[in-house]
Amino acid sequence: MRRVALRGIRAHLVRFVLSVLAVTLGVAFVAGTFSLRAMLSSTFNDIVESSLTGDVYLRGAEAAGSTSPTGQGGFGEARNAIPIALTDVATAVDGVALALPGLNGPAVLVGADGVAVSQGQAPSFAQALDPADPTVRLVAGRAPVGPAEIALASETLAASGLTLGQTTPAVIAGTLAQVAVVGEVDYGAPLAGATVLFLDVATAVQAYAPAGLVQSITVYADPGVSPQTLVDRLQPVVTADAAVRAEAVTGDELRDDARAQIETALGFIETFLLVFAGISLFVGGFIIANTFAMSVRQRLREFALLRALGASPVQVFASILVQAAVVGLLGSALGVLAGFALVSVLRVVLGRFGMSLSGTIPLEPSTVALSLAIGTVVSLAAAALPARRAALTPPVEAMRDDVVVQERTLRWRALSGSLLTALGVAAVVLAVVAPESDGGQRLGFGAAAVLVGVLLLAPVIARASLGVLAAVFVATLPPIGRLARGNVTRNPRRTANTAGALMIGMALVGASSVLAASAQDSTRSIVAETSTADFVLRSPTAAIPADALAAVAALPDVEAADAVTLGSVLIGRPGAGAGGPGPATVVVGLDPGAFGRTMDIERTDGSLDRLADGEIAAQQGAAADAGWTIGTELELTSTTGSRTVTVGAIIDSPAIQAPIVLPEAVFDDLVPAAQAAVNLVFVKAVPGADRTVLRRDLTAAVAPFVVVSVLDNEQFASELAGQVDQVLVILYALLGLSVVIAILGIVNTLALSVIERTREIGLMRAVGLGRLQLAGTVMIESVLTALFGTVVGVVVGVALAAAMPTVFSDVGLTTLAIPWGTLGWILVLAGVVGVLAAVWPAIRAARLPVLQAVTVD
Amino acid sequence: MDPTPVAPAVIAHARGLVKTYGTGETTVRALDGIDVDFARGRLTAIMGPSGSGKSTLMHCMAGLDRATAGSVVVDGDEIGRMSERQLTRLRRTRLGFVFQAYNLVPTLTAAENITLPLDIARRPVDRAHFDAVVAAVGLGDRLSHRPSELSGGQQQRVACARALVSRPAVVFADEPTGNLDSHSSGEVLGFLRRSVDDLGQSVVMVTHDPNAASIAHRVVFLGDGRLVGELLDPTAGTILDALRELS
Ligand SMILES: Nc1ncnc2c1ncn2[C@@H]1O[C@H](COP(=O)(O)OP(=O)(O)OP(=O)(O)O)[C@@H](O)[C@H]1O
Ligand SMILES: [Mg+2]
Repeated sequence: MRRVALRGIRAHLVRFVLSVLAVTLGVAFVAGTFSLRAMLSSTFNDIVESSLTGDVYLRGAEAAGSTSPTGQGGFGEARNAIPIALTDVATAVDGVALALPGLNGPAVLVGADGVAVSQGQAPSFAQALDPADPTVRLVAGRAPVGPAEIALASETLAASGLTLGQTTPAVIAGTLAQVAVVGEVDYGAPLAGATVLFLDVATAVQAYAPAGLVQSITVYADPGVSPQTLVDRLQPVVTADAAVRAEAVTGDELRDDARAQIETALGFIETFLLVFAGISLFVGGFIIANTFAMSVRQRLREFALLRALGASPVQVFASILVQAAVVGLLGSALGVLAGFALVSVLRVVLGRFGMSLSGTIPLEPSTVALSLAIGTVVSLAAAALPARRAALTPPVEAMRDDVVVQERTLRWRALSGSLLTALGVAAVVLAVVAPESDGGQRLGFGAAAVLVGVLLLAPVIARASLGVLAAVFVATLPPIGRLARGNVTRNPRRTANTAGALMIGMALVGASSVLAASAQDSTRSIVAETSTADFVLRSPTAAIPADALAAVAALPDVEAADAVTLGSVLIGRPGAGAGGPGPATVVVGLDPGAFGRTMDIERTDGSLDRLADGEIAAQQGAAADAGWTIGTELELTSTTGSRTVTVGAIIDSPAIQAPIVLPEAVFDDLVPAAQAAVNLVFVKAVPGADRTVLRRDLTAAVAPFVVVSVLDNEQFASELAGQVDQVLVILYALLGLSVVIAILGIVNTLALSVIERTREIGLMRAVGLGRLQLAGTVMIESVLTALFGTVVGVVVGVALAAAMPTVFSDVGLTTLAIPWGTLGWILVLAGVVGVLAAVWPAIRAARLPVLQAVTVD
Repeated sequence: MDPTPVAPAVIAHARGLVKTYGTGETTVRALDGIDVDFARGRLTAIMGPSGSGKSTLMHCMAGLDRATAGSVVVDGDEIGRMSERQLTRLRRTRLGFVFQAYNLVPTLTAAENITLPLDIARRPVDRAHFDAVVAAVGLGDRLSHRPSELSGGQQQRVACARALVSRPAVVFADEPTGNLDSHSSGEVLGFLRRSVDDLGQSVVMVTHDPNAASIAHRVVFLGDGRLVGELLDPTAGTILDALRELS
């Protein structure tokens, strides 16, 4: 029987290759998704490893608000700052080779083209270049000396288009200056798109530690001194003065902290990729199962013959499983390779978008093992069911001219599909009705259930809907349209299975297009409702230099320039000794006069006037969660101290992306200027001022700072909406991948179905069907199948996505927008997909010699 | 029996027809210079031992396969020079073919199988003719069945009906009764003969059965790819005599 099994593979080489291809596709999708995930996390690990190389770190002993609301420079949990003087104290300790204060902060570099150097959302910062620092290495030019010179990281130098010796504007710690590029530095770590400038130590201290405070001090040990020994020696020294509130920790501990933090920060992407990997498993398994079911069905006659010759059912079953194992192993091995190839391509694509990722794609043994196991197990499982049917085929079937597979009724599928869909819909409805309690989770489970349910129902839907879809072709291309309709409707199960993978892909495409459109529309409407300013100043680096703000405020036509400043503090209840000072929270600082002047903010309780008296405003959602009401007292703690404030107003404004709004005075008191970032400036013109003139003046005032753009409300909304697209780049890349896989899946199934119908095709040709007509029939079948999958997928995806704005309104998704235009294009795309998928199978069918086709066994 | 006919017109003929398979040492000359005429409005039977080239001759005459040398003319047109497109049109409009087995599209009903050539050619179904053909094959109550629900004889009759429904110039049937018992085979043969007598069809049929061949107007004998004899107005007895003589 083994010989029969292996001969079977050789005799039906095309069929075998197609099965292997199906497994390869499925496994490639899985391996690709998993290794993309591994690559992302290894990139960030590399960054941690190579930028935090110290043996021991000195840092604040107490948690504090984050130092940098825009995520620029530094990792790790935010703590109180420590005096830079501790550097000398540490150096004096026995066993310390070197101690370096952490001196870095936001900076903007203007490139050769006069535009700020920035890549996507990656940070842009400057740091001190200490000649003794072992992590950085000067590769060209010399180290900068004085405030008018800088060095650049190699990647930054390349991106800026500047050359050594050139002078360019740069904004360092909010101050604009002309600086000369004198050196090129090897940063020794992947930058992931970050822009990095280097300053001499004195300039860096001036810019980022004006009060003599730094976030951390890196300590390198003498050879032979273990980090733990050094910590034991340093600890008593740095804690000698209790007021300093410092501590020493080993480098490993700090790196673990940093990694944990990054992992939390990347949690969203992580979850997203996991969900996607799950989908990839499903789609891959689906394609594989589908292929095996078809290929076994095609050989039922052969199996029946074997049975007639005396083979036992077990032998037939085993021979099919042996083939499945060969196909599964081979396909998975190829799939793993293909998956890594896919990720390499993706890496290049992401690199184009300014996201340079880790140089090597990690070949994690767990990914390889998982992929191999999945490919083989799914192949075996997928073959087992049809194999059982084949094994039990009565030998008499071999005698029949045409083995007609007993089409099992669709009743079971209809029943389970309806049930699952109903359950899913119920979960979604529940999520929409009561979004507060686990809305997101319910929506997720509901969506999954609906998707699987519809997949089960697909043959039933196909039978009902394909006739309608096909009507156009039947009317315009009479004979072949009718033939094609017959072929797709007569075997709804086959059609539905062929379309299955595409259906899932298109559901995702449909849902994300609605999500993207809704997010953009929401952004626009939030801007329209909130901003009553004439112009908005904004910077792609997320921080507007203080000097720029001052220059704008000084213009005669400007009545007010209200800055929205971001900072971070710890929020707790006064006197709540236990539990510490509470979690770090992003807060907004705002001139209380801005309400009604440049901003229209919806107030649900209290009065915004009280902000002028030093009280604060809290967002409705956050207040409800924390139990704050008007009059609640909160204790705000920062790196500079703490302060008790009273909640004076409850607001509901998705435009302000922070739970708490502080009046400017309180904010300035708590957040030192170096740790605050001016996010936006809303500008109100003096009544009667000419807007065109004002715009020109504003543009001129901020021009030296390069990174600041002057926008009217419309443009402001468009820019924010455009950012949504940037965030979705990875999503689109993965969706593209899933659609490509789905198309290949259709090609595969279609080719198999052509093989399955070889004799039928020969017969048709013998009674006069032309080659072109035959190719046309295959093509229409394919287009119908693709359209079916797309329409059902998009309908499901859009319907599910429509629930999102209600469920996620609290995170700024307020309006539902359905991009009909895009959806129309998706349908056109489906048609193209159908035609493309049919090319090879159609050519193959048309090339079949009539006589051989009819007499094929 | 008809009175001796005035040489009826020829519907299809072959001249110097050669068909070889393979190359070099293994070359098989399946047809080795055949000259043959098939009469219009007549039923012609082809007989010969297994491997003598009967099927090959049918395939070449029907344009399903290309001859190596020689010419084939069907209904006045030389098919050797026809393009694939012209051959398709010929098959669709002027030829009917019945294979030895596997004649029907399994997913179509009997009625759909019968009208398939018309559907493909986008020609309207002539109801009266359709009914006549269906009545002749005696399948009236089986039309909505799938091939798998029909017996072998019924399937072959459906195939014959399909070959005739488009009123082709000539029908080629390769052992249409090869798999059938004598009763079913009688049904199919009777139907073919009636289609010649009543509908004026021209039919060429391969068979091994002297009884089947005896309903033909003429029998042609093949041996080793050559024409080795013929009989006009045969009976089972004269055919058996001829076969004995040839072997
Ligand atoms: N595709 C092919 N390749 C090679 N040789 C072939 C092929 N088809 C037929 N032959 C050979 O050509 C010769 C004639 O075959 P053909 O099928 O015409 O015989 P036949 O008279 O129909 O026999 P039967 O009565 O058994 O059907 C045989 O020797 C056969 O082996
Ligand atoms: Mg034969």
